[in-house]
Amino acid sequence: MTSTKAGTASAPSLRAEQVWRLYRNGTGVVDISLTLAPGELVALMGPNGSGKTTLLRVLATADAPSSGTVAWFGSRDRRSPSVRRRLGVVLDQASHFEEMTGYQNAWFFARQFGLSAQTARSRLEELFHWIGLWEARHKVVREYSLGMKRKLNLIEALAHRPEVLLLDEPTLALDYRAELDLIERLQLLSLTGTATLLATNDVHLAERLCHRALFLHEGRVVRDGLVGSLLAELGGSKELELDVHSPIALDEIRDLAGVEAVDVRGTTLKIMLARGTNPATVLAILDGSADLVSGLRVRQPTLGDLFLKLTGVALEPPLPSGDARASFPLPSEEGQGRGSQRRP
Amino acid sequence: MSSAGLVSTVWQRELVEFTQRRHALAIKLAYPVVLGIPLLFSRVPASDAAIALTMLVGLTSALGTGAVLSRERASGLALRYRLLPVRPGTLLIERLGVYAAIDVLQFTPLLVLLGLRHPEAAAFWPALVVTVAASMLAGNLLGAFVSTLSRAPAEVMLYTIIPLLAAFYLSGVFVSPQQPAMVVISRLLPFTYLHEALLGSLGAGASLAPWEAFMDGFGFIVGSLALTGLLGRRIAEAG
Repeated sequence: MTSTKAGTASAPSLRAEQVWRLYRNGTGVVDISLTLAPGELVALMGPNGSGKTTLLRVLATADAPSSGTVAWFGSRDRRSPSVRRRLGVVLDQASHFEEMTGYQNAWFFARQFGLSAQTARSRLEELFHWIGLWEARHKVVREYSLGMKRKLNLIEALAHRPEVLLLDEPTLALDYRAELDLIERLQLLSLTGTATLLATNDVHLAERLCHRALFLHEGRVVRDGLVGSLLAELGGSKELELDVHSPIALDEIRDLAGVEAVDVRGTTLKIMLARGTNPATVLAILDGSADLVSGLRVRQPTLGDLFLKLTGVALEPPLPSGDARASFPLPSEEGQGRGSQRRP
Repeated sequence: MSSAGLVSTVWQRELVEFTQRRHALAIKLAYPVVLGIPLLFSRVPASDAAIALTMLVGLTSALGTGAVLSRERASGLALRYRLLPVRPGTLLIERLGVYAAIDVLQFTPLLVLLGLRHPEAAAFWPALVVTVAASMLAGNLLGAFVSTLSRAPAEVMLYTIIPLLAAFYLSGVFVSPQQPAMVVISRLLPFTYLHEALLGSLGAGASLAPWEAFMDGFGFIVGSLALTGLLGRRIAEAG
C-alpha cells in the first residue's frame, strides 16, 4: 500500500486485489490491485476506454469482478446494505427520476441510505444551498440541465456522509464556481476521514486535489504513486505546445534528441522535451516555415504529460471524427491522422 | 420544507410515479373497462369472453413492466436502483408487488361490472380476485425477466408476447387440454386458474370448483413472490 498524506496507518476503507472485469469485446480491466485509505484522495486517470468506469462500477458494487476480490471496510459482500450505506457514488450517467423534483429525488435517496427525516431535511437544505440548486429544488428533474443533474448527483452521493466516495468525472458539466466548491468540500471530507477515488482526466483537478494518482491504460494500472512523486519524475522536462495551421515535419521533430513524446490533437502539437533540451532545437526545424505556427507555449509538465510519456497516449478524449480535417499529419503519417508517437 | 410529495420507500416512489403520469393513468384505468364492456354486455359467448379477458390480464401485466424496466436499463436508472442499500430480491418484490397491485386496481372496475352482470356466479368472485392478482404477479415477473434479454422496450413487446401466447395455449385458454401431460403442464401455469375463475364468474362451465381456483391462485401468489425474490439478483444485475 502506498503511504499517503492522510490515513497512513489506517486500515483501508477499500481494498481490491487482482481484479479482472472483462467484457465480451475484450475491453475491461485487468489485474487491478489498489487500496484506498481513510481520508485519501486518489485520482484514477486514463483516456476514454482505459477502464476507469468499469473499475469504478466494480468498486461501487454495481458489478462483480470476473476474478479477484474487493473488500469494502473488510467485507466482501458487495450486496450488503451496510456496505452500500457507507459508499457515495456518482457514475457517468446523471440518471434520476425525471418526473420527480430535484428535492424529491434527493430525499428519496437520502432516506434509502438510512437518514432520518429530520437529518435528511437539514443535510439536504445545506447541500442544495452549497451547490447552488436551492432555487431549483422544486423543478422536476426533466427540466434540469446536465450540469444541474450532475449537481443533484453530488448531493445524493454526499447526503448520507459516506466513508468512501467514488466519483466518475465529478466536475463534468459543472460551472467553475461549483467545481471550486466541490474541490473545497472534498478536501474537507478528506480531513474528516472520507476516502475519495475520482476518475478524471482533468490533470489540474488531480494535481490540486489528490494525494495519489493511478494511471490506467488499456485496462491495466501503469503507474500508481503520490502526485508529488509522479510530477518529480518529470522534473526539468518541459512541454512545448504549438498551434499549427499547415502540415509540419513531425518525423523530424520526433527524431530530435531530447524529444520524449509528440502528440497531435487537431491543430495543436504537444512536444515533451527532456530535461535540458532547448525548445529552440524544435523551432529550428520550423526554420523557413515559422509562419505556419500561430501560437507557441512552453509549460511546466503535468500528470497528463507523464501519462503521455509512459503510454504514448494523451489523456484528453479524442476529437470527434468531424474534426479530422483540422489535423495536420505529414504525408508519411496519412491514415493515422492524429495521435501520439513515443520515442522508441 | 413540507413533507408533502416526499417519498422515502421504493413502493411509495413507484406509486407516486404512477399517479403523476395523469394522461397515462387515465388510459390505463379506462382501457380494461372500454375493452371489457362489449365482452360483458353483448352476445359474446362466455367462453370467448373468458379467453379475451384472460389474455387481456396476462398481456397487461407483462408488457408494462417489461417496457419500464427496459427503459430504466437504457437510462441508467436501473444502475441507481442496483446501488441502493437493499437486497435485490427485496427490491424486486417491492417493485413488482406495487406494479401488480396497481394492475389489480386497474382491473377492479371491470371485475365490479362483471360481478354486477353475473351476480349468480358470486361463489367465483373471491377466486377471480385472487387469480387475477396471481396472474398479475406472474406476468410482471415474466416482463421483468424478459427485460433482461432485450435492449429496447420494443424488443420487450416481442419477447414477451411469444412466451405469453405459449403460456395461454398451455393453460388451456384456447383449447382444453386432453392429454395427461398437457393437463399437468396446465396446472403449473397461473393463467389456467384465472381462466377457470373467469369461466365460472361469467356463468360458463368451469372445470374447477371455486375453492380450488381460489387456493391454487393463492398458491401462485406465494410462489410468484418467492420466485421474484430468488430472481431478484439475476434481474437487477443484468446488463
